[in-house]
Amino acid sequence: MSPRLSPRTARRRAFAVVAGLSTAALVLTACSGEEGGGGDGSDDPIVVGISLPLTGDFSEPGKGVQRGYEAWAQFINEDGGLLGRQVELKILDDQSNADRVVQDYEALIAQDEVDLVFGPFSTRLVVPSARVAEEYGMLFVEPAGAANEVFEQGFENLFYAAPAVADDHYNYLAEHILAMPEDERPQTVAVAAMDDPFAQGTAYGLRDKLADGGLEIVVDEVYPPNTTDFSSIAAKIDDSDADMVIGGTQYQDAVNLIVSLQQLDYQPQLAAFSTAPTNPEFASAIGAKTEGILSPTGYTENAGWPSNVDFVERYTALHGNAPGEDEANAFTTGQVVAAAVEAVGCAEQGDCQQELVDWLRTNEVETVVGPLSWDETGKPQGAHLIQQYVDGAIQIVLPEDAMEAELVHPKPEW
Amino acid sequence: MTGTLLFQSLVLGVLLGGLYALLAAGLTLYFGVMRVVMIAHSAFLILAAYLAWFFHQQTGMDPLLSLVITVPLFFLVGVGMQRLLITRLRPATLTMMSVLLTFAVALFIEGMIGFVWSGTQRRIQLPYSGASIEFFGARIAVVKLVAFALAALALAGLYLLMKHSRFGQALRATIQHREAAQLVGIKTDRVAGFGFGLGLATAAIGGTALSLDATIYPSLHWHWIGPLMAIIVVGGLGSIPGAAIAAMVLGIGQSLLQVPLGTTWAQTIFYVALFATLMLRPQGFFGGRLAQRF
Repeated sequence: MSPRLSPRTARRRAFAVVAGLSTAALVLTACSGEEGGGGDGSDDPIVVGISLPLTGDFSEPGKGVQRGYEAWAQFINEDGGLLGRQVELKILDDQSNADRVVQDYEALIAQDEVDLVFGPFSTRLVVPSARVAEEYGMLFVEPAGAANEVFEQGFENLFYAAPAVADDHYNYLAEHILAMPEDERPQTVAVAAMDDPFAQGTAYGLRDKLADGGLEIVVDEVYPPNTTDFSSIAAKIDDSDADMVIGGTQYQDAVNLIVSLQQLDYQPQLAAFSTAPTNPEFASAIGAKTEGILSPTGYTENAGWPSNVDFVERYTALHGNAPGEDEANAFTTGQVVAAAVEAVGCAEQGDCQQELVDWLRTNEVETVVGPLSWDETGKPQGAHLIQQYVDGAIQIVLPEDAMEAELVHPKPEW
Repeated sequence: MTGTLLFQSLVLGVLLGGLYALLAAGLTLYFGVMRVVMIAHSAFLILAAYLAWFFHQQTGMDPLLSLVITVPLFFLVGVGMQRLLITRLRPATLTMMSVLLTFAVALFIEGMIGFVWSGTQRRIQLPYSGASIEFFGARIAVVKLVAFALAALALAGLYLLMKHSRFGQALRATIQHREAAQLVGIKTDRVAGFGFGLGLATAAIGGTALSLDATIYPSLHWHWIGPLMAIIVVGGLGSIPGAAIAAMVLGIGQSLLQVPLGTTWAQTIFYVALFATLMLRPQGFFGGRLAQRF
């Protein structure tokens, strides 16, 4: 045990009892902390505990989030640290596994006694880990739990560090389509969504708004996350000849589905897929046939928010390429927590965490994705930008005040 | 649901079944020759797919050309693996321990792929990736057709080798009765090594075929091993024609069931077939006599 932990031992022990945890393990760690003895520890680094899916199904976005967290820690340390202390990240690999993520956060909080925690990637991992953080009374800001389910659990310490929840991602697109003249807008819609709360949230948010607006849903498929062969789903969509296709997708499923649709020569007027099109790998996987594909995004490197200009510049200098959405959301998480820590003036387990929560509940934070504020469930109060591949590059097409290019409708053949 | 959709699904099922057939043939060969349950078969499959991707990325040439390297390489690795690892297992517990051993090999390969090429999901971008040809109202993707042709050729080659070469006869004799094969002068250890190499060579071909039309990532092999294991049990462990027929039937079944049931339930056909086989005909539908006759 490092010496800096000792002054907080008593408080932590009291807290452990209050939290009603299996005391044995905690008392043990508390005792070993006392043995360490020694200094006030105000110069010791602030340790942030994180578990991420670095291997397994979510390894692709998981590594993006890791890059974002590491960039945040590096930049804040270069600028003199947080409360004058250096920041140190402790990142574990949960293998995209919900059981592992729980173990990881238990270990980080109870054994490693980290000062702060940041959330993992993907709703499926955010919900179980948020429960752990809640039990220990830790502030839990997370970069990726965008599904409604996350905010229906009654979590009191959770904040989602992005502009909007999954269901609201496509709001601008839904408004745009419903505002089209009757004879121009698509009449039929095919939906395919991964059996995953985030992926379904995005697609169903749009589907339901379009259905309410009078469009007919002709295909509504759900596939399990391990699906790799999309030819049959593509055959169904092709057979329905829907005017518009919506994919509630993560990454490989979107790529495989789009290629399968192209192989069947299915040509929709509009094609919207979540997550994958904003991934830098996407264009190299699909090749020249990305033109016209729509995707919501909570982040763009071109956004003019003051901290974003600085972030993009430093990140690009560091990695040689601009940050993507995963990196930005992770960075935002760091910014949100840092803002609370600087305002409250503490970063440790115990009462401090509740003060951080209370501060975020009532304040707005400037981030690389714009100013963020939250309702009482931790839901951010905004909507996502809509991007489209226009002239070979992904550009913002909605809303109009942030537009980089006109929305192309109907999309060119792929 | 329309007739076109049914026919399209049937065509897709045949294409999928062909790939399953090749992969299952290799898997059942290990078991036939050595009573080895080869969990790492699909890991080698993904490794071959990564090698094809890497080859394409480095040279810009068609990934199919990587077969010239990967097939002999995998054959040698297979022989080496059998001689150096599998033969060290005690015969009495061979089948069970081979599960553990090859499980470890699978984890090792997955880890190495992630280490060398990272967890980033890869896809080979070919000029003909999205191309397709019209076939009686259905569309057949060129890449799927190439993969199917590759699988069919490899299976035909395997069949000829098994049926009409001295090595094939020796291999089949070893599958049928190891001691008797030794009595007539067959060096069963060497044959078993070559048999293992042959199985791994099919993984090289299957992986290359897969790489043409799939997004690959290190942990992808876990999605393949389950259905493949189910196929070889339904087909009868050790029976190559059984594996091929079961693969075709289940591949087509999965594709057709997706139309009324959706993807989630269609996947269960492999396991439903597995349970049914174990309850009704535990030796598999083509196992036992047919396996020995082949």
